[in-house]
Amino acid sequence: MALRFEILGRFNRARAAQLTLPHFTCQTPLFMPVGTQGTIKGLTTQQLEEIGCQIILGNTYHLALRPTSELIDELGGLHKFMNWPRAMLTDSGGFQMVSLLHLADITEKGVTFQSPVDGKPMLLTPEESIQIQNRIGADIIMALDDVVKTTITGPRIEEAMYRTLRWIDRCIAAHKRPHEQNLFGIVQGGLDPVLRDICVRGLVDRNLPGYAIGGLAGGEDKDSFWRVVAQCTASLPEDKPRYVMGVGYPLDIVVCSALGADMYDCVYPTRTARFGTALIPEGVLKLKHQAMADDTRPIDPTCDCMVCRNYSRAYIHCLVTKDAMGSQLLSFHNLYYMMKLSRDLHSSIVRGQFPEFVRKFLLRMFPHGDVPQWVCNAMEVAGIDISSCCAPMSSPLTSEICEVGFTKLSEIE
Amino acid sequence: MKFAVKAWSNGKARTGFLQLGNCPAAIDTPALLLSTRKGLPHFISPDLLPSLPSPDSHLLQFSPLHFLEGPSSKTISNIGGLQHLLGLHEYGFAAVARDSVQSLPECDATNKFGASFETTCGRRLIRPVEYIEMISSMKPDIWASLADEVPSWVSDKRNKTSVDRTVKWLDECIALNSTGGAVFGAIVGGNDLEERQRCAVEVVKRNVSGYWIGGFGFGESMDERPSLLDAVTDVLPEEMPRMICGLGLPGIVFQSFGVEVV
Ligand SMILES: [Zn+2]
Repeated sequence: MALRFEILGRFNRARAAQLTLPHFTCQTPLFMPVGTQGTIKGLTTQQLEEIGCQIILGNTYHLALRPTSELIDELGGLHKFMNWPRAMLTDSGGFQMVSLLHLADITEKGVTFQSPVDGKPMLLTPEESIQIQNRIGADIIMALDDVVKTTITGPRIEEAMYRTLRWIDRCIAAHKRPHEQNLFGIVQGGLDPVLRDICVRGLVDRNLPGYAIGGLAGGEDKDSFWRVVAQCTASLPEDKPRYVMGVGYPLDIVVCSALGADMYDCVYPTRTARFGTALIPEGVLKLKHQAMADDTRPIDPTCDCMVCRNYSRAYIHCLVTKDAMGSQLLSFHNLYYMMKLSRDLHSSIVRGQFPEFVRKFLLRMFPHGDVPQWVCNAMEVAGIDISSCCAPMSSPLTSEICEVGFTKLSEIE
Repeated sequence: MKFAVKAWSNGKARTGFLQLGNCPAAIDTPALLLSTRKGLPHFISPDLLPSLPSPDSHLLQFSPLHFLEGPSSKTISNIGGLQHLLGLHEYGFAAVARDSVQSLPECDATNKFGASFETTCGRRLIRPVEYIEMISSMKPDIWASLADEVPSWVSDKRNKTSVDRTVKWLDECIALNSTGGAVFGAIVGGNDLEERQRCAVEVVKRNVSGYWIGGFGFGESMDERPSLLDAVTDVLPEEMPRMICGLGLPGIVFQSFGVEVV
C-alpha cells in the first residue's frame, strides 16, 4: 500500500479526507480530468496546477499504443514524460478496448482485440495490464475487470462479476510495485444488489488500497445509478478511498459525495467544452447560441477563473467550434468549475456545512424547485434535508427554462 | 504613440524604441509582431502570454476582418475595444487588414470602392468607411490604412492602379478617422521600383504617424526585395517608425534593414 487516507470531516455518509499519494497529498472529494494521451487537450500542466487539479487520469490503452509503456518507462515514467509533478491514475485499458473496438472478445485469459496498428489479434491479460501500468508508473493503477454494458441483463452480468474477482488475484500477483503504486479493485455486478454485494465482499477480503465502483454512467436510469453507489459505499471499508468511475456531471458528483464517494473522473467537462458548452451553477450555458453573440457578460459572473475575469460571452461565442482557442478557453473554465466544486465539497464537509452547501447548489441549479425525484430519493438516504429546495408537487410551471441558452443539466444527459 | 531612433548601423539599420499608450514598458525596435487569430496568439491563452519575453512580445498584430462573423462593432465598442475584449490590458495592438492565413487580399475582386479579401466568411469587399468603423470600435494603438495589395505578376497598369487606390483610400481613412490610434500609411507598388517610390512619396505627404510597407509575400522573388525596400525607405522620414508584414520566415526578416516592426 502506498497511500494514506485520513478522514478530516463527515456529514452522515459524506466524508472529506486527505489522501496522501506518492506524488501528491490530495483533498477529497476530488475530480480527476482525463488526459487521454498524457495531456489534457488545450491546457498546460502549469495551468492544471494553477486551477487546483490534484490527480490526472491517463488512458493505458492509448499510452500503450503510443508512445508505448516501454518508452515512457525509459524516459522515467509518465510524470516525467508529461511534466506533471502531482498525482496520476491509469485505467486498466480494458474499458477502452471494449468501448472503442467492436471486435473485442473477453475470455478467461483476458481481452482479445484487433490491434488498431496492424489489425492483428492481440490479448490483454490482467498480468499484462498491470505490467504496462507498472511501467507507466502512476500513483494509482486499476485492476483489469470484465466490463459489460450497464444496460445488459442476465447471466453475462454474473459471469463478468465473478471473472472480475478471479482476475483481481491475477492482478495482485502481477503487481511488482505495491510500495510505489496503489492497485484499486473495481466493483462490478451491474444493477443487481446481490451480485454487487458478492463483489464488494470479495474485493474487501483482498484488502486493497482503494476501491472503485465500476459499470456505471453507461446509460442506466438515475435511480438505479445512485442506488448502486449507495449500496457499495455502505459496505466498502471506511478507511479506504472510493472512486466512482466515469462520473462527471456536477449534480452526480454532489449526490455521490453525499452518499460517501471520494473520487470521480469524466471526459465530460472537456468534451462538452469542445462542443461550445460551459458548466455554470445554473446548469450549462451553450455559447454557440445566437443569444450569446452580443452578450457582454462573462460566462459565469460568479466565477473567478482567468476566462471569466477576462472574456465576454460574445467573444467566446465568436471562437467556439471555429477556433482552437474557443475550446481551450472553455475547457479551462469547465475544469476550473469542477476543481472549485471539489474544493467546495471538501471544505463544506470539513466545516460542518455540507447540507447547506447541497441546498445552495440545488437552489441555483433548480431555482423553480424542480429537483429531479432521483436526487430527492438519494438525499433522503444520505440524510440531507432538501425539502426547502423542492417546490410543492402541484406547480406545473416549474420545469420551464427561463433564460435563453440555459439548459438544465438533467435535460442534456 | 511615441517613437525614437537610438542608434544607426553603418548601413540603414537602426535601433529605437516604441512607446504605446496601453503598454507600460517601451518596446525596443526592431521588434516582432505576434500574429493572432481573433486577437489572441495561436494556442497561447492569455494567462500564458507573460511567460513569453517581456516587453518584446507585447505587440500583437490582428486583422479586424477576423471579426466579420462577430462580435459586432457595436458590441466590441461597448466592451471598450479589443484590449478589453481580449483582456490583454498591457499589450499593444496593431491592426492590418490582411493576414497570411484567414484574410487574404483578392486583387481581382478589388475595385475602386474597396479592397476585397478572402475570409472565413467568404469573399468580402471592404470599403474605407467600413474599415474605419471596425478600427473605431476596436481602438488599436496602431492601424495601417486600407491597401490594394496585388501580386507581383499583375500588369503594370494594374500595379499603378493599386498605388492610386491605396493613396486615395489613405486620404479617405484619415478623413473618416475618429480614433486616437496612430495611423500608418500603407505603401504598395509591387515589384516596380518607380511605383514603390511614387507611392512612398505620396504617403509621406500625408499626416501619418508611421508607415506600413505592404505588398510583400505575393510572388516577388527574394532577390528583388532589398532593392524594393531600399527604394521605399530612401524616401521615408528617418524619425518615423516603419512596419512591414508578409515576409514569412525569420531568416528573411534580416533582409529588411531599416524597418522597425516586422
Ligand atoms: Zn470561469
